[in-house]
Parts: sequence; C-alpha cells; structure tokens
Amino acid sequence: MEEIFVPALGMAMDNAVLLEWLKQPGDQVNVGDIVAVIETDKTTLDLPAETSGVLGKHMYAVNDEVPAGNTLCVVLAPGEAEA
Amino acid sequence: MTIPDKKTSLGLLRQMMVIRDFEETADKLSLRGKVSGGMHNSSGQEAVAVGVLSALAPLDVIATTHRSHHHTLAKGFTSREIMAELFTRSTGISGGRGASMHLGDVTKGHFGGNGIVGAGVGIAMGAALGIQQKGDKKVSVGFIGDGGMNTGRTWEAVNMAVIWKLPLIVVVDNNQYAVETFVGRVTGGGDLAKRAEGFGMKAFNIDGMDVLEVRKYVSEARERALAGEGPSFINALTYRYYGHNVGEKGQYRTQEEIDTWKSTKDPIDHFTAVVIENGYADQAAIDEMRASVRAEIEDAVAFADASPEPDISTIYDDIDSGKLGVQL
Repeated sequence: MEEIFVPALGMAMDNAVLLEWLKQPGDQVNVGDIVAVIETDKTTLDLPAETSGVLGKHMYAVNDEVPAGNTLCVVLAPGEAEA
Repeated sequence: MTIPDKKTSLGLLRQMMVIRDFEETADKLSLRGKVSGGMHNSSGQEAVAVGVLSALAPLDVIATTHRSHHHTLAKGFTSREIMAELFTRSTGISGGRGASMHLGDVTKGHFGGNGIVGAGVGIAMGAALGIQQKGDKKVSVGFIGDGGMNTGRTWEAVNMAVIWKLPLIVVVDNNQYAVETFVGRVTGGGDLAKRAEGFGMKAFNIDGMDVLEVRKYVSEARERALAGEGPSFINALTYRYYGHNVGEKGQYRTQEEIDTWKSTKDPIDHFTAVVIENGYADQAAIDEMRASVRAEIEDAVAFADASPEPDISTIYDDIDSGKLGVQL
C-alpha cells in the first residue's frame, strides 16, 4: 500500500490546500499518474502515484487545509484492502 | 591506491552504507514533517566524509556546513543521537535544541554545523589557532561547499592560516551545485586548487567519490600540518543525489546527469567492488552488512521517536563558553 501524502517542503511549511482530485476512489492508477493537486505557501504541486493499483477513499475534500505529512489517500496493490 | 587492512576497509564501507541509509530514511521522514526545520541530504557524498574522518585522530577538530549528517556520522557519533537531534529530542547530539543544521559537540572536537555559507572554514581556522597556541598535536578541518568558495570570509581565513602556518585542512565537499548554481558557471579561473595555491598553500583537486583517495590526501595534509608546515586545501569533487534541501523540486540538472553519476561513480558501489576484489568480503557478507546497517537505522528512528522533547529549562544551555567548558 502506498500512501499519498502532503510533503513537508522547505524549512517551515505547515499546511497545504487540496485544490483538486484527479482520481476517484476505485479508479485504476498507474505509476506517474497525478492523483491530486495541492497548493503550498510557495507553489502548486502535482502529487503522482509511485506505484500502480486501485485508489482508496479520499481522506480530505477539495479546499480542505491539510497539515504537512498527512495522508490524502492510498494506492492499493492487488489483494490489499484499506485499514 | 594501497588498500588498508581488512578491518579498516570493511569499516570504511560500512560507514558509507550507514550514511546512505540514514540519509534516505531521514529524507522520507522529513517529507512527513518529522524533521523540524528541514534538512539537507548528503547521499552521494559519503566518500568525502568517510575519507576525511578516517584519516583524522578522534580529537582532531572539524567544523562543517548546513549539510553535515555525513561528516558527523563519520566522526563517530551514533545514528541514534543524530536521528534524535533531527527529531529535536533531548537525547540528540545537541540536546534537541539544534536540529539538522546544528549538530555538534565541542568536547569531542565537533565544532558544529551552521547555516552560514562558508562559515565552517572560519570556525576551523579559529580552532587551528587555538591548537597552535596550546601546542596540541591536533589538526582542524574546515568543511565547505563549492558555494562557499566565492565568499570573502573563506579566503580571509585561508590567508591567516597560511601566514601563521596553522594546522588547518580546508576540505571542499564539492557537490558542484550551490543550491541550483553550477560551480563551473561561477568560478573565476575555473580551478579551485589553483586559486588556493595562490595563497601559498598545498592544494589539490581530487576524486571525492573515491574514499581511499580522499583518505590518502587528508592523511598527507595532516602529517604536514603536524610537522608545522601549515594548511592544505583539498577540493574533493563529488555529487549530491537529491535536491539541495529535502523536497526541492529542482529543474537545474538533467535526470540523465544524475543517473550517470549514480550508475558510474557511486562511492559505495565503487568501494564494494574494491573490497570484493581484494577478497575482504563476498557478496553474502556485503548483503549481511547492508542488513545490519538497515537494522541500525531502524533502531535509530525508533529511539528518536520514543525520546522526549527537551525540557524548557534547558533552553539557555550550551550557548556560552562557561557552560561548555571548552577544552581545545
């Protein structure tokens, strides 16, 4: 299971805003597919999947402020289920 | 290049593996927000740190830079106390008050990392002056990056070390990029060793991906310093595998350039091959070493995670010399 999370970038990044979901729960995702777009205090950032599988549930909604380090969703490998 | 005995060689290899695993682990934890204030990953630069520190005596002094985990691990501090410092915990090398950029312990000859470009050479020069004044049989190493080569303070310190014949060794941990600026684009004259030679010191451009080469040049520089012959300058060409700071989305290097350095010049791959060729280890022994390193770093993370934050009453500790009891 791969967790897609808001990376803590730079010296003092606190929160990011979730701008867009490009994949829905249950969608097949492949390595490199952009799953979500976030906005930090400096830039907008595409968050790609680093593994292939099926997307789990969205843990945040568009426009939510998400603390750095928090998981947005998971990518499930075949046979895996969400915790 | 003469290879050291089996125990020493395997020690050099394991130390480089510890640094690589530590950095890649800490990088991921930093992205998760576990490392206060960010960090600078030294993956790729292991041979410089291990080559230099293995040529020094335990109480020789080092002063380093913003990118200092590798120097600090190679000086003999444990992955536990460094990881705990990254997590700003009381069990960290600096009591949890310094984080990634302020690793240090003057009682053991580590005069610290710092966030000022090029400052390590000035600090090390001061330590070298102290060593000379006290007549100690020690040397002082100032680590600096290529970005620090064009700051005025660096060369003021170098000049003083030359005229006073101080036991200083300047080591350029030259990863070729000052954040995103390529060293070749900003180096007047193009040759750092020649620049240093102009100040009247022995100076060398060497392969910073070869741990034995670094070790040899530093050993010789140390001998000269102890013999009263003054400072030396060693420009060790290396490469950092990750961004300047964790999470940096750099566009200033091509993926091809990064991949080429990793696949053809990697210091750990290179020295692993040397060790195997010399019959010091087989592949099974290398795998076992890697597994023991993995266990060590996992233990360091668990230790850091379980350690308490520093008590607020310690906030003024270690900021004046009276408290430090500095003994050069």
